[in-house]
Amino acid sequence: MSIEKDKDLDDLFRKKLEDPVDPVGYNEADWDALEGMLGKRSKKGIVYWLPVLGSVAALLLVFFGYLVLRHPASVVKPGNGQQAVIPSKKDTITKNSAINRQAIVNPKTDTILPPAAVNKGANQGAKPLIAAGSMAVNPKRNKSGGNNISGSNPAPGSKTSPASIAQKPVLNDAVSSRSDAVLVAYNVAPSLQDQLIINQQITQTNLQASATANPANAPVGNKVRIKAKTGFQPRYAISILAAPDINGVGSFQQSKVGTNEGLLFSVGVSKKWTFSTGAIYSVKPYITPFEDYHTPYHFAVSPINVTADCRMLDIPLNVGYQVYSKHQNTLSLGTGLSSYIMLHESYKFNYADIYANGPANFTVPNSNKYFFGVLNLNATFQHQVNSKVGFSVQPYMKLPLTNIGYSQVRLQTTGVAIGLNWNLNSSSKP
Amino acid sequence: MLYKAFYGFSMGICLRYAGNRDEAAEVMNQGFFKVFTHIEKFDQTRPFKAWLGKIMMNASIDFYRANLKMAYTEDLDNAEHVTDGELVDRNLNYEDLIKMVQQLPQAYRTVFNLFAIEGYSHEEIGEMLNINPGTSKSNLHKARHKLKQMILNADSRGNGGNFSGGANYSTPIVAIRTMDIQSVFLNKGIRE
Repeated sequence: MSIEKDKDLDDLFRKKLEDPVDPVGYNEADWDALEGMLGKRSKKGIVYWLPVLGSVAALLLVFFGYLVLRHPASVVKPGNGQQAVIPSKKDTITKNSAINRQAIVNPKTDTILPPAAVNKGANQGAKPLIAAGSMAVNPKRNKSGGNNISGSNPAPGSKTSPASIAQKPVLNDAVSSRSDAVLVAYNVAPSLQDQLIINQQITQTNLQASATANPANAPVGNKVRIKAKTGFQPRYAISILAAPDINGVGSFQQSKVGTNEGLLFSVGVSKKWTFSTGAIYSVKPYITPFEDYHTPYHFAVSPINVTADCRMLDIPLNVGYQVYSKHQNTLSLGTGLSSYIMLHESYKFNYADIYANGPANFTVPNSNKYFFGVLNLNATFQHQVNSKVGFSVQPYMKLPLTNIGYSQVRLQTTGVAIGLNWNLNSSSKP
Repeated sequence: MLYKAFYGFSMGICLRYAGNRDEAAEVMNQGFFKVFTHIEKFDQTRPFKAWLGKIMMNASIDFYRANLKMAYTEDLDNAEHVTDGELVDRNLNYEDLIKMVQQLPQAYRTVFNLFAIEGYSHEEIGEMLNINPGTSKSNLHKARHKLKQMILNADSRGNGGNFSGGANYSTPIVAIRTMDIQSVFLNKGIRE
């Protein structure tokens, strides 16, 4: 066929087909179909995001619920134990000050300095610590001591007025014998601080004993009692995971590799048991013999097999039991059920004869749901990097309990999920 | 109503690329769907009809990409020999010609439309359809060959008049092989 003839042929078709006047009459059914598509699109948008939004909302609800419920219990957390210790330090200082008062003796004069002198001397060297401690913890004692300090009733036999010691410079030779006592008092603060740790236990015991006597210490005593009654606290964690897996129908002889990405929320209800749920976006391609493909459509020529590409939202509800725990590593065995929300299904039909006159593919645009139709089996190895972050490796298998998808196949999956875990409990620790 | 106003124009384009009317309607609605959901992308300084035509053509190509799973690999040497003849003076109307085009295998039909009617080069067609320019040339050659064969066969039945007037062109009256009939798969057909 010459080039001219080709051009003539092209022209013939172009002239008559390029812009036909009215090739086919308007069909209202076509508009109805388009209306359906447009309506379906807006509806599809909601339907598509509904499970995702629902999952996120559920996670947020649980998270905020956890925060709200956790708040009243915050007084019993270990960190607040320090609050109980802080006043005890002050009290310890006071008590030890009181002890040292008796030990502070002027070696030259053999006179025992009144407590007020010690307190006063200490106040010069370590004003904030001693003053705060003596005033806050035992005002009564300070009051009585203050009476002594005033010098209105100096101790009998005392040659030196305590007030004069405080007023005179420390390095003054004239009062050097008295300033020894002041110097000792200066050293009281650091020595007391060293003893704080040693005396903590005693101090706490004394606190409980004196709780009724000293109203300021009463709440502390209550906190300690609550702490003693505290039991196991639920552990909450969020995990981001990704998993390659292989999918097959009936077996894994003809399998294809799929991918999964998702977010899981887990609650440790005891040291051993953990519940988890979340949402995982899964791409599950697979190939199946045509015998396993179920459809009401009657094929004139049966394909030899069907290649499928299914996109879905996997919502698992699993329970795990910890079977091993050592150092930062744990091993758990888990099981549960998964719900599949189909987002997209497309099937390609492969024929033995490439000239076979049959459908080539089929796309299912709907979103069928299969609640608790898949059994999950898994083993999770978790390594805790620190109190907040850990990572996990989870070999798993998903076995069908019902037929899945438009094709109603028994789709099974096995793979290994890699996860990054975030411990929510430890995130609020100081 | 936009849809009704441009229904004929859009359907005319889609009928050339599709295998039958139902398929053409499906593709056309896909095109209008894009129009309605991306109307903000329309440049108002340019004619709407050209924009719409381009969208319909692209919708047809998308349909081609999504549905062309079996390459048509018939060797031209095995095809019946067609002698050259005068083609331009045939008494063939629009319906005759569109039916002939629709009987072409999808790969041939798409290339023929893009080259002979839309005026694209083989390089451009290769990029659009993700095929080699050589494949495009080959498909065009085979499309022309088949069209000419159909025209001559129609002529042999009586000046081409039998092709129109309600003749069933898909019956063996037209001398094409059964395997040439493009398989059409409609979702609505498979569901129920």
